[in-house]
Amino acid sequence: MESLLKCEELEFGHGKGFTSPVDFELQAGEVVALMGRNGSGKSTLLKTLCGKISALGGSVEINGRSLKSLSAVELAKNVAYISISKAAPERMTVAEFVGLGRMPYSNFFDGRSKEDLKIVEDALALLQLENFAERNVCELSDGERSRVYLAQAVAQQVKVLLLDEPNAFLDIPWSHQLFKTLRQLAAERHMGIIVSTHSMEYASKYCDRVMVVEEKNVQCGTWTDAEQMGWLEWTK
Amino acid sequence: MVFANRRATVCFIALTLLGFLFVYLTLSAGSVDVRWSDLGWRHVPYDNMQQQIFWEIRFPRMIAAVLSGVALAVSGLSLQTLFKNPLAGPFVLGISSGASFGVALSLLAGFSFGHLGVLGAASVGALVVTAVVMWVSSRFERSSVLLIVGLLMGYFIDALVSLLIANSDAESLRVYVSWGMGSFGRLTFDGVLLFAMAVAVGLILIALSVKYLNAARLGDEFARGVGLNVKRGRALVLLGASILAAASTAYCGPVAFVGIAVPHLAYKLFKTSNHRVLLPGASLCGMVLCLAASLFGTVPLNAVLSLVGVPVILWVVIRGRRGI
Repeated sequence: MESLLKCEELEFGHGKGFTSPVDFELQAGEVVALMGRNGSGKSTLLKTLCGKISALGGSVEINGRSLKSLSAVELAKNVAYISISKAAPERMTVAEFVGLGRMPYSNFFDGRSKEDLKIVEDALALLQLENFAERNVCELSDGERSRVYLAQAVAQQVKVLLLDEPNAFLDIPWSHQLFKTLRQLAAERHMGIIVSTHSMEYASKYCDRVMVVEEKNVQCGTWTDAEQMGWLEWTK
Repeated sequence: MVFANRRATVCFIALTLLGFLFVYLTLSAGSVDVRWSDLGWRHVPYDNMQQQIFWEIRFPRMIAAVLSGVALAVSGLSLQTLFKNPLAGPFVLGISSGASFGVALSLLAGFSFGHLGVLGAASVGALVVTAVVMWVSSRFERSSVLLIVGLLMGYFIDALVSLLIANSDAESLRVYVSWGMGSFGRLTFDGVLLFAMAVAVGLILIALSVKYLNAARLGDEFARGVGLNVKRGRALVLLGASILAAASTAYCGPVAFVGIAVPHLAYKLFKTSNHRVLLPGASLCGMVLCLAASLFGTVPLNAVLSLVGVPVILWVVIRGRRGI
């Protein structure tokens, strides 16, 4: 399998490390659940993996290249970090919002080619958003908005997708739909996805592996590993 | 998307036609009839009074309306996007206050700014404030800090102006108040080129940051995430918007309304958040609005823009809210 993201001896945090050094590898077509208590450092870890926060130590590689060696545009073409809890912008249509995913590919004056428009249309179609294209993002429900954010990442054509609690505001049917879509993206587009969530049900049903941040340690393995090693005892 | 493109095209054509109509009316309006066939190119000394009125009064007034309309609209739109705040505008950063202080020093305290006079004084004041804003911008990443600093600077400078006003004589005060009311009639033919060059520089800087402006609506973190240089984008927008506002304030007085209101009008008309469309769209809206205001002759510009403009903008905004 193709390794999309690899970290070795990674230390992350604000000023001092949250946990002991982390070794982890994300494969193409894989969905990994990131779990842990509030404040355990899940968001900080995700932001460190995509370069929004500098690592305190160790290394992160994206597609075999060091994170530090990638330019901002190269990084944007490989990794997207999505936090759906942020307020949606006013006066911006779904098509425009999804179209912003093409920014790493557009020219200096943000001109878009026909190919860009086609990719945006495909992303809208994949997430079943064609009928919402001209609606304002801020008028959508949380479930619809989560699909719009995903569509933007699809339009960005990244290989690694990092999602920060995407189902925090979603009801049960929308949460199932969201995780099904993540599985579909991983399988069809060969993306590697890390999704932080507090839901054991969705994580165990839809994710291949689990990464647990607990007691200053980050553990990663299959669900069987997690149960046998007691990584998820804190949830009970 | 096709619908949005068609709408933008219709709006561009309609506003351009309106612009040409108002340019014609601005050049024609006045107590003296000017025959177009008798005008010819400008050459001093003038052959007749009509030529002098046209080239020394009406032409600069029309250019002042066009340039300040474009400058204030683009400046306001860029700053509203940068700060993600619909109330932001060139005046919020204290640039206008800086210009006013420069003018107050010249008119009320008698400081000499050489052959540049009041216009030079306004420019110096505005540029000093811009320099301070740029310095703050380089030290603080958060846009809200910049907004607060701009507002505080505005208050501080307004207080200094009040002190100058309190200690000035009646005649100086009259001249200063007249400048403060705003006018397109203050620009002379000799000042046209300098005004146009300042506006061109500001527009080029904003055009260079159009990609950043499109991303800035979603915040600086998003802009970085799609590979943009946020510091450079912010610096370009700030410098460009400040130059545009400073030039307009220097030549036409402090006109706050256009910078705040026109971006909202442009959003309503063009129904897009793409600054490749919005920037020229807002420019046309600002130009048409200022040309229309220039037709009111001797009535103070700020009064015309507020009395006529506020109800129109309110109507457009409320109509848009109802989805009619």
